[in-house]
Amino acid sequence: MTGAGSAPTPRAGLAERQAELVAALVAGGEPPTGFAPGPLAATRAALLRKRAGEVARHWPLLAAGLGARWSTTFTDWAAGRPTAGSLRDGWDLARALHDRHALPPAAAEELAVREARLRYDGVRAPRPRRVPAVGRAGGAVAVQIAGRVRLLRPAPRVSTRAGDGVPDAAGSELWISD
Amino acid sequence: MRGRRRVRRMTGPSGVGIGWRPEIAGFVAELPGLRFVEVVAEGVPASGPLPPGLTQLRDRAVTVVPHGVRLSLGGAEPVDPARVAHLAAVAQRLDAPLVSEHIAFVRAGGLEAGHLLPLPRSREAVDAVCANVARAQAELPVPIALEPIAALLDWPDDELTEADFLTEILDRTGALLLLDVANVHANARNRGADPLALLDRLPLERVAYAHVAGGAEHGGLYHDTHTDPVPTAVLELVGALCARRRPPALLLERDGHYPPAAELRAELDALASAAGFPAVT
Repeated sequence: MTGAGSAPTPRAGLAERQAELVAALVAGGEPPTGFAPGPLAATRAALLRKRAGEVARHWPLLAAGLGARWSTTFTDWAAGRPTAGSLRDGWDLARALHDRHALPPAAAEELAVREARLRYDGVRAPRPRRVPAVGRAGGAVAVQIAGRVRLLRPAPRVSTRAGDGVPDAAGSELWISD
Repeated sequence: MRGRRRVRRMTGPSGVGIGWRPEIAGFVAELPGLRFVEVVAEGVPASGPLPPGLTQLRDRAVTVVPHGVRLSLGGAEPVDPARVAHLAAVAQRLDAPLVSEHIAFVRAGGLEAGHLLPLPRSREAVDAVCANVARAQAELPVPIALEPIAALLDWPDDELTEADFLTEILDRTGALLLLDVANVHANARNRGADPLALLDRLPLERVAYAHVAGGAEHGGLYHDTHTDPVPTAVLELVGALCARRRPPALLLERDGHYPPAAELRAELDALASAAGFPAVT
C-alpha cells in the first residue's frame, strides 16, 4: 500500500482527517475537530463490540471460558489498543490474563495448543514452528511434533466460575458483512 | 466439462437470497428455491479448495456474489492492488456475474478501524472513491455494485446530501447500486430524516440487488447489528422500495446469534412476501 511518506497530493486533507478519525476511534487519539462526542463514543463502542465478536470466533475457548465476563474483559483490554488482527488480539489478551492468573482452564488449553503450534513473538504475525515444541499455559501442556499438536495435560479445574455463560461469537473478521 | 478459462457466468441475482456463512451452510444448502447467495470475498481463498458448501451451491447453479468488506474504496489512499486482485480471482472462480463493496473506508494512517466507517459527503471524498472504484474496475472481470453503509456518526465536512453524494459516485463510475434497506432505515432513524425521501431521490434503476438485515436500538440509536431479527419498520421499507421499483433481488444478511432454522425461514418468507417474490424455503 502507498501510505505515509508519499508526496502530498490534493487528497492530503482527506487522508489526514481519516487518519485522525481512526486514531480517535481505536487508538485513544484526540477527537478530530468538529465531530460530535456522542456519535464518536457510539461508534467507538460499536467497533469494540464487532471486534469482540471476531476475536471470540478465533478464540472460542477464551470467550467461552470467560462466559458472561467475556464482553467487558475484552473491551476493557481492547479500548484504545488498535487491532493487530483477531488471532493476535486474542493471543495478546490470553497472555495478559495468564500473567494475571486470570485465564480460565479451557482458555489455558487453547493457548497452550496455539503456543505449541505457532511461534509468536508478540510483535510479528505468528508463524508455524519448524521443530518440535511444547506449549504451556496455566498448567496445560501441549506438544507439537511435525505440525501435529496434542494436548498432553489439561489445565486443572480448581474453580467453578468458568464457563458461566455463552460468549457473543457473532461474526468473524472473514465473514462479517454490512 | 469446464474449460480451462471459464467464460460461463451465472445469471444476475434474482429473487430472495441469503448471505452464505459457514455457520449456516447446512441451513442454506437445504433451501429448495434458492437461486442466489452472497459470500464475504475475504473469506474465500483465491486458490485451493473452496468451502464445500459453496461448491455444492455452485453445482446447483446458484449465483454466488462475492461481497468485499476490506477494500476501503473510500480511503484517501489508493486501494491495495493485492486486495483488488483477490476480489477479481474470487469473482472468476465463482463465475460471479458481479461483485460488491462499500462506499466506506476501513483503515487510515496505518491503523485498521476493524469495520466500515463513513466518508464525509464532500467533493474531495467523491473524487477519492471514484478514483479507487476506477482502479478496481480496471482489474475486475465483472461489474461492481457499491453499497452505502449505515453510520453512527456524520462528518462536519459534509457538503452534499446523501442522495447527491451517492448519485454522483454512481454516475461518475458507472457502478451499480447495492441498496441496503436496513442501512437506509438506520441512517434515517438516527439522523431524524425520512427514509422514503431518500428512496425517492436515488437512481433505483441502478440497483443490482438489495440487502436486508436485522438490528436493535441501544442508547437511543438504531444499530445495524445483523445479529437481531429484521424489524417491522425495515420490512415496511422493503415494501415501499418495491412499490417504487422492485430490485431484481433481495438478500438477507445474518452474521451471528443465529436463530433456530424455523425463525430464519420465517424471515426469508417475510422478505419474499414483502417484495412479492416466490418463497425460497
